[in-house]
Amino acid sequence: MRDGIALARRGLPAVALVTSEFRAQADFVATAAGMPDLPRVVLPHPIAGTGRDNHRRVAEQFAERILAALTGGASDPAGAR
Amino acid sequence: MNGEEHRARLLEAEDEAAAIETLHQLGCTDGLPVLAPTEQRVARLVLASGLDGDLDLGVMGPAYGATTVEKVCACAVMAGCLPDHMPVVIAAVRALLDPRLDLTELQATTFGTTPLVLVNGPARELCGVASGFGALGPGPRANASIGRALRLAMINLGGGRAGISDMALLGHGGKFTAVLGEDEEGSPWPPLHVARGCARIDSAVTLVGVEAPHSVIFLPPGDDESMEQAAERLLATLAAALAHPGSNNRILRGGAAVVALNPDHVRLLDLAGFERRSAAERICELTTFPRAEMERWIPALRGRGDDETARLAAFRDPDDLLWVVAGGSGLYSAVFPSWCAGPHGNRAVTVSFDPAPSCEIPG
Repeated sequence: MRDGIALARRGLPAVALVTSEFRAQADFVATAAGMPDLPRVVLPHPIAGTGRDNHRRVAEQFAERILAALTGGASDPAGAR
Repeated sequence: MNGEEHRARLLEAEDEAAAIETLHQLGCTDGLPVLAPTEQRVARLVLASGLDGDLDLGVMGPAYGATTVEKVCACAVMAGCLPDHMPVVIAAVRALLDPRLDLTELQATTFGTTPLVLVNGPARELCGVASGFGALGPGPRANASIGRALRLAMINLGGGRAGISDMALLGHGGKFTAVLGEDEEGSPWPPLHVARGCARIDSAVTLVGVEAPHSVIFLPPGDDESMEQAAERLLATLAAALAHPGSNNRILRGGAAVVALNPDHVRLLDLAGFERRSAAERICELTTFPRAEMERWIPALRGRGDDETARLAAFRDPDDLLWVVAGGSGLYSAVFPSWCAGPHGNRAVTVSFDPAPSCEIPG
C-alpha cells in the first residue's frame, strides 16, 4: 500500500495489490497515510511462495481489473468484502 | 497541524471500573486492566517528565499518530508507571521514533517482534530497573511498567492492533513488556552503552526489535576441558541458537541480535581472553555458512550461484551483536534473534538521557 501511495503522491497512476488476509491492514494504512481511496485490487491469499504457475494464473485472472483500476475504472473499495 | 489537534481527547465514565471497560472496548488496552488516565494522574507524570505536555516528540507509525509528551504520559499512567520511571519512558519513546528503528515496519510485519529496551547507567538504580534473577518478569515493577507504557503507546499512538495493523502471525509474551537493565556491576566487560559510544556515567536506553528470548543451556567446564575450550563451546552454543535454520538471522541475514549472558558465562569468556568485540567476531565466524549448505533452507538460492564456494554470513558486522549481562547466576543465558528486515535491516538505536526527575513530584 505504501508503495502505491508513494507513486500516487508523485502524480502517477497507482493500484495496490493486496491479498485477502491483508485487506484490513491495507485499509488501515491507506487511511493513516491520508489516501483512503487509493485504488486497490484484492488477490487471493497467499500469493508468496505459491509458485510461478499460480502467479501466472492469478495474473491472467486479475490483469484486466488491475488495468481498469489503473485507468480510473472499478477497483475494490475500502472495507468491501 | 495546530496545537488543538495534538491534544488528547477526554472521555467520561461513571467510575474507574467503567473507564477501564470503555478503554477495553475502544481497543486502547493490551487486553489487561489499566489505570484510568485521569487529567490529574497524567499531569503528575508530565511534571515528572520535566517537559511541556504539548511537546511533540514525532509521529508514530503505522498510524502516524502525533506523539506528544502528554499522550505518552497518558499511556504511562495506564501502564502503572511511577514518576521515577518517566525519564526512561521518554528516552525509550525517543528511541522508538528514531527512523533507524523502523517502528512502522516492526509494528506491521507478520514476524513476531517487539522493541526490547536495554537500560544502562545510573538510571537503573534511580528508576528501579532490575537486571538480575527474573528481570524480564513477571515481577519487577519498573521493568514491567516502563515496557508496558511503550506498548500502550505503540497501540494508541502508533495504532498497532492485532490482525489489522500489527500483522504478527502469533505474537509473543514480550510484546506486553520487554525491559532489561544490564548487570554492569556483575560484568568484567564495559557496559553496552559504553560499547555504543556513551560515557560510563551516562544513562542510556538501547532499543532493538527482537523475538522472545531463547534459553541457551551451557554446562560448566569438564575436567578434561581448558578454559579456552569451554569458552569456545559456549560461543558455539550461542551461535547455534542465534542462527538455527528457523531463525531469520540465518535465513534473511544482516540484522542485529541480543545475547543476554549471565554473570557466570561472561566471566568464563573474560577469563578465556574474550572481549565484547572478539567474542562477537567469533560468533560472526560461527554463523557464516557455505552457500551450498544454505541452499537446503533457501529454495531461491538453488541453481543461481556461480560460486559454490561462496559463504553467507548471518551478521554483517560484529557490532550488530548486542551483548548484555543480565539474569541470575546459573546454567542459562539467552539469545534474542531478530527480524532482519525493514528499510534499515533491523538496527539498534541508543539514546542517552538525564535520569533524575526535574523536581519533587507531589503525591
